[in-house]
Amino acid sequence: MERFPVGIIILIVVSILIYLGLAHRALDRMRLSDRGALVVIAAIILGSFINIPLGFLPFTTSVNVGGALVPIGLAIYLLLRAGTAKEWIRALAGAAITAVAVYVVGSLINTGTTMEPAGRFAFIDAIYLYPLAGGIVAYLIGRSRRAAFIAATLGVLLVDIFHYVWLLGQPGAPQNYAVAIGGAGAFDTIVLAGIVAILLAELIGESLERFAGGPKIEGRPPELIKALKKPELNRPGEQDQKSAGRNGIKDDEKKAGELGGQE
Amino acid sequence: MVGRNRFGKGFGLLGGILAVLFGVALLFVIRSQPGQQPVPVMAEVHENITPDHLVGKFTTIMDEQGNMLSMMARTVFVGDELYTCEGRIYRMEKVEGDQAEAKFVGMDPQIVSYQDFYAGENMPVLASEVAQQGKGGLAVYHTHTDESYVPSDGTESIPFKGGIYQIGKIMVDKLRGKGINVHYDETPHDPHDNNAYTRSRRTAAGLLQNKPAAIFDIHRDGVPDPNYYRATIDGKNVARLRLVVGRENPGMSANMDFARRMMTAANNLHSNVVKEIFVGKGDYNQDLTPTALLIEAGTHTNTKEEAAQGVAMFTEAMPTVLGLTATPAAPQAPGAERTAGGGAWKALGWILGVTIIGGLGFLLVNSGNWESFKSRLSGFGKEFAGFMGPGQALRKIYRKQGGSLTEKEPGINSPDANSKLKDEKDNPTKD
Repeated sequence: MERFPVGIIILIVVSILIYLGLAHRALDRMRLSDRGALVVIAAIILGSFINIPLGFLPFTTSVNVGGALVPIGLAIYLLLRAGTAKEWIRALAGAAITAVAVYVVGSLINTGTTMEPAGRFAFIDAIYLYPLAGGIVAYLIGRSRRAAFIAATLGVLLVDIFHYVWLLGQPGAPQNYAVAIGGAGAFDTIVLAGIVAILLAELIGESLERFAGGPKIEGRPPELIKALKKPELNRPGEQDQKSAGRNGIKDDEKKAGELGGQE
Repeated sequence: MVGRNRFGKGFGLLGGILAVLFGVALLFVIRSQPGQQPVPVMAEVHENITPDHLVGKFTTIMDEQGNMLSMMARTVFVGDELYTCEGRIYRMEKVEGDQAEAKFVGMDPQIVSYQDFYAGENMPVLASEVAQQGKGGLAVYHTHTDESYVPSDGTESIPFKGGIYQIGKIMVDKLRGKGINVHYDETPHDPHDNNAYTRSRRTAAGLLQNKPAAIFDIHRDGVPDPNYYRATIDGKNVARLRLVVGRENPGMSANMDFARRMMTAANNLHSNVVKEIFVGKGDYNQDLTPTALLIEAGTHTNTKEEAAQGVAMFTEAMPTVLGLTATPAAPQAPGAERTAGGGAWKALGWILGVTIIGGLGFLLVNSGNWESFKSRLSGFGKEFAGFMGPGQALRKIYRKQGGSLTEKEPGINSPDANSKLKDEKDNPTKD
């Protein structure tokens, strides 16, 4: 009980949300079942202990399974399953903008040899900066949880890659400089950024849309209005249907249902 | 959707393009500034009369009577706190540019009680017995590995191999001399920026796999005036220390407890070698463990010898505080039953509380109205049955009884509806 890093707190909270079925919509949009999501979390935690050294690269470079490969793999899986080119563009543009935003705030504004301990304008720690940037950028671009996750995880990775390129150009950089992509495992910024960005998109997006009264109905094709009513909320017996959908029954119909509303 | 219509069609894409352009423009603007100092104008004005290492900006904290309390090379924010070595707590009330005004809010009861406790303690530390305990030892690293001391190193920054390494080495050698196992990670995390904490987080997480009793991130400050830290303690020239605790860490109270104990124990051995504890915005990777601490050993205008002396004096208190001592019947300090575990249960309570309240709020927002919220809440039993229980069997029975599990409203899953939805799904801004 003595060690409760931010990463573990977030993983616990997310696990509880999944377990209680509260993350149903977010998971649907992430193209994951409850079990799939819990497996991903388990893979992140267990994978934290596995570091794969990349000996063929300059410096002491390694990549962590839980901290980098699993979340980045999930981001790529989401990209591959993206329905349209627009979704690709939105997600990748989100990642690029997130990386630029984080680089500008974290490395250009908050820098200087006598800036202590984290820079003169460091009102927010780097571990929160990434998910905030990723979540907000993704929301603005596509109002999408998937894009939020992709933007945040790939955004952090892009900053890491940019730093690596910077390092290659530094004549004074010692060969023992350890570059550990995702090296902090479950506590790594890549993992935190991805999860918090989804939660942010969920909180901002879903709540705003609910408060704004839901999808517009007038003047839209009747078929679309029917489809936008999914997943069926506010109707008796919805729990039965939700359980059924999530356990593989009528899976195709559930997928169609995912397309409605915020993605 | 009503809210989206206000932004108009294509807002998302346009916003994205504008954000990229803005980011790129900002990148060029900042890149073109020499030295990337946030105060380039000041630097240019004083270029001819002031040495480079004195141009850094810093914040001065005053009390309500106008007495100077502290100065530091960072921006402070309203709500940040300063704990002086005497145990006085000041909270920032007003921040205007480089001036902050702090209000005295009282004496810290814990620091006062630790002062009494450590004053009554006089424990010899035997190297052989220390080695028997605390097998995980201690861990030391540097986030800003370029930090250097101008009088000794000639510059305030030596990329990848700053003078700060020698200060860390002083601590490590002193602890090893006492028979304590120390994991010293010398991985550089250059450049000197805020993102360095993302990189050093990986180093810190790696060090924690050794299960150290505590982990120290050693820095130096960047205020130009060396006399702010300079003092003569026990006849030696010393650069005093500041401990920094990040308040964006959910487990901050545990780290703060550790900081209080380190400060009072060290100050008990060597009069006020720790000047203060600053509680400010940031996390500094202290969420990783309750005994993570950021130390600022003097400033860049102090000599390395002064800083080394301060760190050496501080290090002497570590075995006492971390229970790495030999005295078996040592009395426990109030609230020190475990290593800074005081905040852990509180943190757990917070997690559960936030999860429950957040979950209910989330459910309410998603349900749209109170009736639906109640029906969803009462449906939790079914949710569990669906997830863990004999769900498949129950559903078979349900289906045999003629219940439909999917169609609630005729037509909503029809191919027409689905294909229309696919056609329209690229236009979320229309909703």
